[in-house]
Amino acid sequence: MYTDLDPLLHSQLRLAIISMLVASDKVEFTHIQSETKAAAGNISIQIKNLEDAGYIKVEKTFKNNYPNTILSITDQGIKAFESYVSNLKKYINPRK
Amino acid sequence: MEKNSLTPEESFDIINKAISNFKMNYKENAQVFLLWGWILTLASISNFIILKILSSWEAHELMAGKWELKGLYILGNWVVFCLIGFIILYFMVRKINKDKKVYSHIDKFIEYLWWVTAASFVIATIICFRMRIEPPVLMLLIAGIATTTTGLVIKFKPLIIGGILFFIFSIASTFVTNEYLALLVGAAIICGYLIPGYFLKAAKE
Repeated sequence: MYTDLDPLLHSQLRLAIISMLVASDKVEFTHIQSETKAAAGNISIQIKNLEDAGYIKVEKTFKNNYPNTILSITDQGIKAFESYVSNLKKYINPRK
Repeated sequence: MEKNSLTPEESFDIINKAISNFKMNYKENAQVFLLWGWILTLASISNFIILKILSSWEAHELMAGKWELKGLYILGNWVVFCLIGFIILYFMVRKINKDKKVYSHIDKFIEYLWWVTAASFVIATIICFRMRIEPPVLMLLIAGIATTTTGLVIKFKPLIIGGILFFIFSIASTFVTNEYLALLVGAAIICGYLIPGYFLKAAKE
């Protein structure tokens, strides 16, 4: 089922993360955590998967003397997201 | 939160929520508009006072043959106020970035727009001094472009109106001369920066 859809993006948490990154230039890890209400460990795993696929860029910095992770989407990630959305449209509106 | 068998509708719902949850942080923009609104209003008033003093009889006698100093006093006044503004801005931006968790495309665009605008102000000042024309005409026009664009991008009407008022004040400044030009600039800044700044501060995110 839904074979055309990128399996990496066709998951609730990963799709939420990539959608947030499409909407913004840079997003902090803590913001993703508060928006998705998911466990930090689970988010970290999904971020690693997206990073390994080259969809997102992860920057490790410091903020107020605490480690801070900043995420941004790559060009490859944008392309993957666009093709995911256009394939998704085919399922909702098969005639188009 | 993890589910791998999503329906297309559920997928669209997730995308929709993630994108629509993004909120414009009006408060951050308000702080910067209020800072420059107050700094430049005070600079205009101080400019008016300097010009008033220089136009007095006593000053006429003291300044005889040294009228080039008048331009330097005015330029010095604006430079001092702008320097104070940039120092406060530096600490303000540091504090804003400390609390910031999302850096939107709009934030980035507005930041670039105002840095280019600041550079344009400096270039316009040089052009005005070289060509011996009153700076407010160009300054208000540049401020109008940046303010209207910011208002349109963040979809905030008071800022769009403030920007348009800058354009009107820019034309009006060609009809006013002497020290009253400084007051007109002050009025333009109150209408273009300060009032929209307070509207921004009161706006809900």
